[in-house]
Order: sequence, then structure tokens, then C-alpha cells
Amino acid sequence: MKSISIQKVSKEFALSAGPGGKPARRLMALEDVSFDAEPGDVIGIIGRNGAGKSTLLKIISRILRPTRGRIELNGRVGSLLEVGTGFHPDLTGRENIFLNAAILGMHQSEILKKLDAIIDFAGFEDHLDEPVKHYSSGMYMRLAFAVAAHVEPEILLIDEVLAVGDADFQRKCIERIEQVGEQGQTVLFVSHSIHTVLRLCRRAVLLEKGRVVACGTARDVAALYLESGARDGAESRYRDRAEAPGDGVARLRAVRVRSAEGETLATLDIGSPFGVEMEFEVLTPGMVLFPSIVIHNEWGPICFSTDVDTAWHGKPRPVGHYRAVAWFPGNFLSAGKFTATASVHSFSPHMAHFNEPEAVRFQVLETAGGSRGNFTGYIDGSIRPWLHWDVEHGPLTNW
Amino acid sequence: MTVIDGSAASGLNLAEYWQYRTLFIFLTTRDIKLRYRQTWRGVAWALVQPLLPMLIFAAIFARVLRPELPYGPYWLYVLAGLAPWNFFANAVNYASLTFVGNFNLLNKVYFPRAVLPFAAVSACLIDILVSGSVLIGVSWWQGYPPSWRLFLIPLVMLAGYAAAIAVGLAAASLTVLYRDLKPLISFLVQVWMYATPVLYPLTMIPGRWRWLAWLNPMTGVVEAFRHCLFGAAVDWIGAALSLLAIALVGIAAVLVYGRLEADLAERV
Repeated sequence: MKSISIQKVSKEFALSAGPGGKPARRLMALEDVSFDAEPGDVIGIIGRNGAGKSTLLKIISRILRPTRGRIELNGRVGSLLEVGTGFHPDLTGRENIFLNAAILGMHQSEILKKLDAIIDFAGFEDHLDEPVKHYSSGMYMRLAFAVAAHVEPEILLIDEVLAVGDADFQRKCIERIEQVGEQGQTVLFVSHSIHTVLRLCRRAVLLEKGRVVACGTARDVAALYLESGARDGAESRYRDRAEAPGDGVARLRAVRVRSAEGETLATLDIGSPFGVEMEFEVLTPGMVLFPSIVIHNEWGPICFSTDVDTAWHGKPRPVGHYRAVAWFPGNFLSAGKFTATASVHSFSPHMAHFNEPEAVRFQVLETAGGSRGNFTGYIDGSIRPWLHWDVEHGPLTNW
Repeated sequence: MTVIDGSAASGLNLAEYWQYRTLFIFLTTRDIKLRYRQTWRGVAWALVQPLLPMLIFAAIFARVLRPELPYGPYWLYVLAGLAPWNFFANAVNYASLTFVGNFNLLNKVYFPRAVLPFAAVSACLIDILVSGSVLIGVSWWQGYPPSWRLFLIPLVMLAGYAAAIAVGLAAASLTVLYRDLKPLISFLVQVWMYATPVLYPLTMIPGRWRWLAWLNPMTGVVEAFRHCLFGAAVDWIGAALSLLAIALVGIAAVLVYGRLEADLAERV
């Protein structure tokens, strides 16, 4: 018996009418979405922002009503669209456990039965009788997730909860979802992270502008998704001088992420070398210029910068068009999302002739056979260089 | 099996409310706990709230209106009317905000939505418990010893509770449909008090219009409450009219809410 059957579901939103009584605009958030899930399925729902992923989960969890179509659900539905919904700052941790669990649909007897496990999972028994407004955000998250992790409906809907919280929290969450799938519950899982979807889900559904464009094994669907967005954000080009960043000394023409073969790519394999290419014009002759690429991870901090253009280092440059590529070796950046800032400086006096943050964005993807091996946990850090280790082996000796 | 159908109409699914009873209980106790976290403050609030207006009304209205009271003194008469009235007014004001004030909850979790106003009204019952107990003591001191009628108070308040739930649910739903209503609710409730025999006896209303006053759901509750305290006669036909009004408002509230329920998260 199917646990979820979604039949031609559409959702239309009426956007609020503009001033002066203009008729409301309509927005098709979902159009004829159909797919089924069997018990034990862990299905990833992927798609760009605004593709309708969250709307779909909200409809299945009955927060929103579909405009058309029909959904059949076998079993109790639990949804984790947000962690800690309904937490009240003035209530103690223990009181919030009860209230939050009830909001998520648990009965009193069930909550009492799982209370010890929840407290154990959160891992701080001594602060449980303090109001949660005195908690650190980490404690707050841990408590909220501890409750969420113990809701055991037959159908579990999860939306982007992994996007928040620290690495430890994300790992716990992923392990919990893996367990849930093994126990025969059905999980629908919305995520921006293709890695997580590939790890957790055997099947995936790709939404694009409210329509299902692919439905099948997670690997195939993910590949299609990445292909469709392969060039997104990987290149910034400036068509005319007026809009290009720069001054009378140097002007930026283009920035792109490229493979060794010269192809523009937004998605890179962790093992493959790649380059960040910068095209710029030098308009004033005879200056010593330093082009610089700064790599940021997806949360914004700088991972590192590289500004030694070896060919021209310390040499005055003639007027002309320059194409500078900084090459990154394979197995150097960790898996994840990155952006690059492109700039050209000169020193004494120090001047930035242009400085373009987030000129390109790209994603490093992990595939089997990388440094990860069979390890499935979270690996910290934005850089994961494949270093050369010297290891000597010999017989046991005295200390 | 749960079926979600875009075209199906929704209503008050009682079985589902029973399933979510834990949530109802916890939401109610949450509100009570938050209000009575410091016990003396909660009790003081329950008492001061009717006392202050009572003093003002007793000082002014007693002189201006010169009401002929079936039982006095006037300040005690007003106090006995304000106790059930304040429960109703607080409950409706508080319940009216439960949809518009809980966008995040409504937009992130599913539960039968009317649980929110139900719990809000239920939490207000604690106030009538506190003010009612004090009132019984004060009445005794003023020469109205407790009688068997006190056992009727829970029944009277059950009617008051039903009235507050009906009006609260309607107010919560209507404030979602008509946003401008939100700041108006407390004003309308205030006006409603003057239409209810809280400050004046029902006998001040001319006889041929009195049936209209009885069609006010709260008239029956307030009058019956005083009957239980002071033992004065009650117009039982009038009280039945009030009960009928409560039932009608209840049906209207369920209809308004039912139209809104499935789209609540979108409208809030």
C-alpha cells in the first residue's frame, strides 16, 4: 500500500492587490504535481528557490490547501518545517518540551514515555528548569531538535531544517533521518544540499517552476539538476565600460570559474583541478598591479586569498587586455558552496581599482573515491587538502 | 487514510480536536502559567481588574443614574456583574488575537486551528475562579450568606464559557478576514458592556424592549450569576432567550471559521 499518493496537485496564490485597486496577480506555485511514495521511501525534493518545494510540503502537511488535486496519506503525518516552532521564551526548557511535542502532534502519554530520551538527546539536564530565554542559541537548537527527533509519525516531512545549526547538529539530524527511513517510515526531504539528498535518499523529485521535471533515482535526478544549473553564477560578464567595475587604471571585463579545458562550470568535482579566471583591462601604463582572488565559503567568511600573479609579479604593466587564471588543484577545497571576490590593487599608495564581491559562485561536489572514503559524517572546514603523508612502520620498541 | 482534496469544504472536525486534546491542555496551562508565574501578581490582577472600574462606576454612576436596585449596595451589585463580564471581555479580546498573532505557528505546523482561541478562552476561566471566590466572601460579609445556589455558578459560567468561545472564535476569524477589525475589537467589547446589565439593573430598560436585552448572550449570564450570589428572582424565559442567542452566535462562528479554516495560513 502506498503511503503517499499525490495526484495532480496544483496551488495558486493570489498575490495581494496593488494600490489603486489593481486586480490581484495570480501565481502558480505548483502545477499538476503527481508522485507516489511507498513505506520506507526517503525521497528528496530538490529544485531552485521558488520552485515550489516548501509549498508542496505545506500542502501535504495540510498547512495550505491545494487549489486543485488530491492527496492520499496513509498514516500520521509529522512535519518539521522549522525547528522549535512555538517555543516560548518565558517557559522553562522542560515546559517547552511538552508544549512543542504537543504542537508536533504527540499525546501526553507518548511525551512522558519519551521524555527521558528527549532530555538525554539534548544533553543538558541541569538547565532544564530555567526559562529558555536564558539559553544560548546552541542549547535552544539542541532542545528543539531533541523534541523534533522523537516525533515518530508514519510520514515525516522535513524542510531545510539542516540549513541551520552547527555541524554537530546537522550530523545528528542526518543520522536521525537515516534511522527513520530504516524503520519503515516514509520521509519527504527538501534540501538545497545535493550532498545530503544524495546521501539520504534513494529517490528524488526535481521541481522546476512548480512542475515535476524529473522523478527517479536520486543520482539521476541530482545529475539532471546540476546539469541544468551548470552555468548559473559561474560567470560574470560586463558588456560595456559604463557598468564594469573599475577606474582609470584597471577595469574588470569578466570573471568565471573554468575547467582545465576552458569550459565554464558552476559545479566542480572535488577531485578535479579548476581555475578562477579574471579578464581585465589596464588603461594606465607602467603601474605595478596585483590581481587578487578571495575565496569565501557559503556563510561568508574568507577562506583564503591568492594575489601573486607569478608572471607579472612586481613588474609594471603595459596598457592592454589581460586574462589571469588562478589554478586550484583537485582535492583542495572541501565540498560545499563558495564565492569568489575579484579585485585589482596597487600599492604605495594602496588602492583598490575594483573589488567585486561574489563575482562568481560555485559548488564543489563530492563523489565516491575522494578523501572522504566510506566515512559518511560531516567533515569540518572549507579546505580539505589531499596532503602527502610520510608514514613509517616498524616493530614495537621500548618507550 | 487521510484525504486532502482541494475542492472539499472543511468544518469543525470534532474527532480531530479530540486527537489534539494534549495540545489544547498544554496551550491552556501555558497561558495560565505565564500569567500566574508569580502567583500574587496573577491573583492581584484578577482582583484589581474588576475593582478599579467598580470604584469609578460606584462613584459616578450611582449618583448620576440613581438606579433602583433589586439588591444592594450598588458597588457590590456592579462587582457581581463585572466578575462574569470581565471573564468574557478578557477571553474575547485575548482569543481575537490568536490567529493574527500566531502567523509563525499557523504557517509552520498543522493542528486544528480553532485550538488556539479555545485554549485562550479556557485560560481566562482561572480569573473567574479567583474573582468569584473573593466575591462569595464579600457578599457574605454584606449580608448574603452562601446558599445552595452557589452550586449553580459552574453551570452559569459554562454558558458564559460557551458565549466567550463562540464570540472569541468569530472575532479571531473575522480579524483575519477584515484586518481593520483588530484594534476595534476591544472597543466593541467595551460598548457591549454598556449594552449588558452590568452597571444598571435590567429594570431600567422599558418592559417592551427588555426581550431585546435578553437576546444579548451575556445578559442571561450576568443576571443568572447575580441570582446565584444574591438569590434574587430571575426571568427564566429571558435567560432561555440568552441561551438561544449563545447557540445562534455559536453556529455563526463555526460557519465563519469553517469558511476560513483551510486557508488560514495564507490569509494571516
